[in-house]
Amino acid sequence: MDRVVTMDLRQHNTVLVGHDRFFVFRADNQLQLVRDSCPHRGGPLSLARLTPDGRRLSCPWHGTRVGVAALRRTAVPMVRSGDQATVVLSAVAADAPVSVIRRRILANLPPERQCDTTA
Amino acid sequence: MLHGPNPYRRMLMPDAVAEVEFHRPLAAGEVTSWRSLAAHRLLGTFYEADTVLLPEQGLADLRADFDLFYSEELRRLREASISDLERFAYSFLATEVDITGAWTIDALDAYFQHAATVSEQGESAALTAIAQARRPEVAADTYLVQLALDGLTEASAMSKNLGGAYGPEQSALFKIFIDEFGYGVYESKHTTIFAKMLRSRAMATHVHAYWNFYLAGPLATNNYYYYLSRDHAKFFRYAGAVTYAERVFAPGFVKMIKTYQAVFGDDIDLHYCAEHAHIDEHHGRITREQVLLALAERHGASVVPELIRGIAEAELFGRWFEDDTAAQIRWSDAIDRYRERGAAALSGGGEPRRVELTPVSPFGTRSHDGAMILVLTEGEADLVTSATGEPDRLGRGDAVLVPAGRTYGVRAISPRCGYDLHPTTAE
Repeated sequence: MDRVVTMDLRQHNTVLVGHDRFFVFRADNQLQLVRDSCPHRGGPLSLARLTPDGRRLSCPWHGTRVGVAALRRTAVPMVRSGDQATVVLSAVAADAPVSVIRRRILANLPPERQCDTTA
Repeated sequence: MLHGPNPYRRMLMPDAVAEVEFHRPLAAGEVTSWRSLAAHRLLGTFYEADTVLLPEQGLADLRADFDLFYSEELRRLREASISDLERFAYSFLATEVDITGAWTIDALDAYFQHAATVSEQGESAALTAIAQARRPEVAADTYLVQLALDGLTEASAMSKNLGGAYGPEQSALFKIFIDEFGYGVYESKHTTIFAKMLRSRAMATHVHAYWNFYLAGPLATNNYYYYLSRDHAKFFRYAGAVTYAERVFAPGFVKMIKTYQAVFGDDIDLHYCAEHAHIDEHHGRITREQVLLALAERHGASVVPELIRGIAEAELFGRWFEDDTAAQIRWSDAIDRYRERGAAALSGGGEPRRVELTPVSPFGTRSHDGAMILVLTEGEADLVTSATGEPDRLGRGDAVLVPAGRTYGVRAISPRCGYDLHPTTAE
């Protein structure tokens, strides 16, 4: 079933749904709610840094590059109205606990400046 | 203080409009500002010049005004400036509301149902202000005045979306339009039964009698539906917005009936509210099933974010309508307190602006972008903050704090009258 969650973006940037975690990712001056899990082995993308070209996130676990465009395409449906965000989570069990919290999001820092040697 | 039965002439306060820097668009936080009120008075007039307005008493002496209002000269002026004025008034929406993520029709419906439930379960700021007012009758009239903006020309924006060919969804919207127009029976038309409600309060029923008392938030809300309807590139936004509006009207009018019965007992004709409380149950269902979700099904994922945007923006404007009306009610209802605060905060104010009036000066209302202390420096005048309440008499030396965005007019009582406006940080 669909679950609708609201959060004040001045206070919260992360949604916890059962064992899943989503974070508010800023891309091209738009906020997206994306899954905090690298498609490779589930590393925390919220702790990833943008590559120098700003187009990919470099997962902190194995350095897997995850395209920002791909993340946007799979982002959770979200409406931001001022500082208020309304999120629609699909296929969530009715009894799954849902909460919103604030965490440090390294993925929203400016791109890393060091030389890119693995691309 | 009221406009006569002439829909072609509206007080715009040209000197005060000249204060507005139109090159700097409104921000979301300025919807209730003077900049907003001035722009939306113009914009609303532009939009209505694209509808047919004829006075109930017949054209008679107004033929020249009719010809001027619909003249080629003014039409060209409108056409040359309306897009820039819309950009001034509404461009902030692009940054105030963001729709992101991979939306599905189920997600659209879940979001819509959530937004509708929040509105249904929430309180109306304006109705709460009425219930708490010292003069609830005047407060209730202030709310009626804001509803009259649309109530006496109801569904005009909707009519812009009836032409063309867009399948069963067009027919669904037309069903709602037919209801608004009383199935072709004038006595059943919603504007007619709205006028009955006004008449039961001994209020004027001609279009824009209360022009001077429309607030910026309600004007911006009313114009928003024209803004979406004038440009069919915004059709899907309109569909989202009208679906939200039709859905929240029914529970909204149920709350209004309760409040107005508490204020007036049986001394008010609430047929209009009862009609909406009933028929909008159907309109809410029809728009959701046969317009919103049907358009999404037929036209696919690319239109869903626009439908969602319309819902989100309509929700925002609904809130601004309520909050602005509530703020005006509270200020007007507690003007004694604002007189005391004006007198107390006077020292240390900025450079004043002088205004002079005589009893024959045309009456108009305005607001300010920031708080002002109004100090009567010469003669005697009435401070007007509501359409039906007794004005507050000001004598020489009297002061009143006018918070940012509060709408007022000053009417000279003595042969000569002058007042100073002092910018202040005291809100």
